[in-house]
Amino acid sequence: MGDPSDEDLMRRVAAGDERAFALLAPRHAARAIGLARRLTGNSADAEEIVQEALLRVWINAPRWRAQAQFRTWFYRIVVNLCLNRRRRAPFSPLTEAGDPPDPSLDPAARLERDETDRQVAAAVANLPARQRLVIMLTYEEGLSNADAAAVLDSSVSGVEALLVRAKRGLREKLRSVLDGNDGGE
Amino acid sequence: MKRMNETDRMDALLARRAADPAEADAASAARVLANLANVPLPRQRRGSLWPSVLLDFDFAPAWPRVAALAGAAALGCALGFFGPAARLTESPGWTVAAAQAADSDFGAVAEPELLTGVRP
Repeated sequence: MGDPSDEDLMRRVAAGDERAFALLAPRHAARAIGLARRLTGNSADAEEIVQEALLRVWINAPRWRAQAQFRTWFYRIVVNLCLNRRRRAPFSPLTEAGDPPDPSLDPAARLERDETDRQVAAAVANLPARQRLVIMLTYEEGLSNADAAAVLDSSVSGVEALLVRAKRGLREKLRSVLDGNDGGE
Repeated sequence: MKRMNETDRMDALLARRAADPAEADAASAARVLANLANVPLPRQRRGSLWPSVLLDFDFAPAWPRVAALAGAAALGCALGFFGPAARLTESPGWTVAAAQAADSDFGAVAEPELLTGVRP
């Protein structure tokens, strides 16, 4: 007997089962904090936002309809809270990408890789809000275009257009990296 | 070809950032979950007395609905301008009937009063 799916747990949460909520929340908390941290540029804000998002999941669980994946719904709450927070305080890009160092690389290669990652993070951070969101959701969170569209309350073609524009912008900003990069591996 | 290599490289750079959650995120998540575990969860928002079919109804216009509305409007205009009723009004019988209809009591209202000649 495998682990219950997110949707099964949500049905139990909707019935007021706190143990199901305690199983469901840890599955998504860390990734949601990563997403919120990259969106707000602030770890403390990210923690507050994810805590608020989880509370909203609990409070609104009885109204949840299993028409979309739980993760899509949850990310939508997180993204909306991040955007609300950003309206109050302007976005400040992270000075570092926040990824742990890769111990398999020698120091010089690690330094070069970190520098490349820093440039990529800065370029992504400087994209317009929706383009940055699409890049984060599709590349960093691994959502399909359809799921990203559901999170952003947009259409799949809209997400694809945003992706094209975002990648065009990134290509211009990362020209030096792309010309001198051998794929980074 | 060069463009394709650039695209592949950029995809690789972006995908490289999609690592597992950072340790800092895991620690943050642990703090958040501990906070949630330490306080009683608030009361859940249950559905109201409204039937769920009403609450679930999506009032936002969607393209199929807008297209259906526009199609119905276009069909109505086409029928109004070129349909059987339009042809009926162009027939001779309709013209006579319309003229007879115009010769109604309303004309007498505008005629001068017979004895005094005063118009109403």
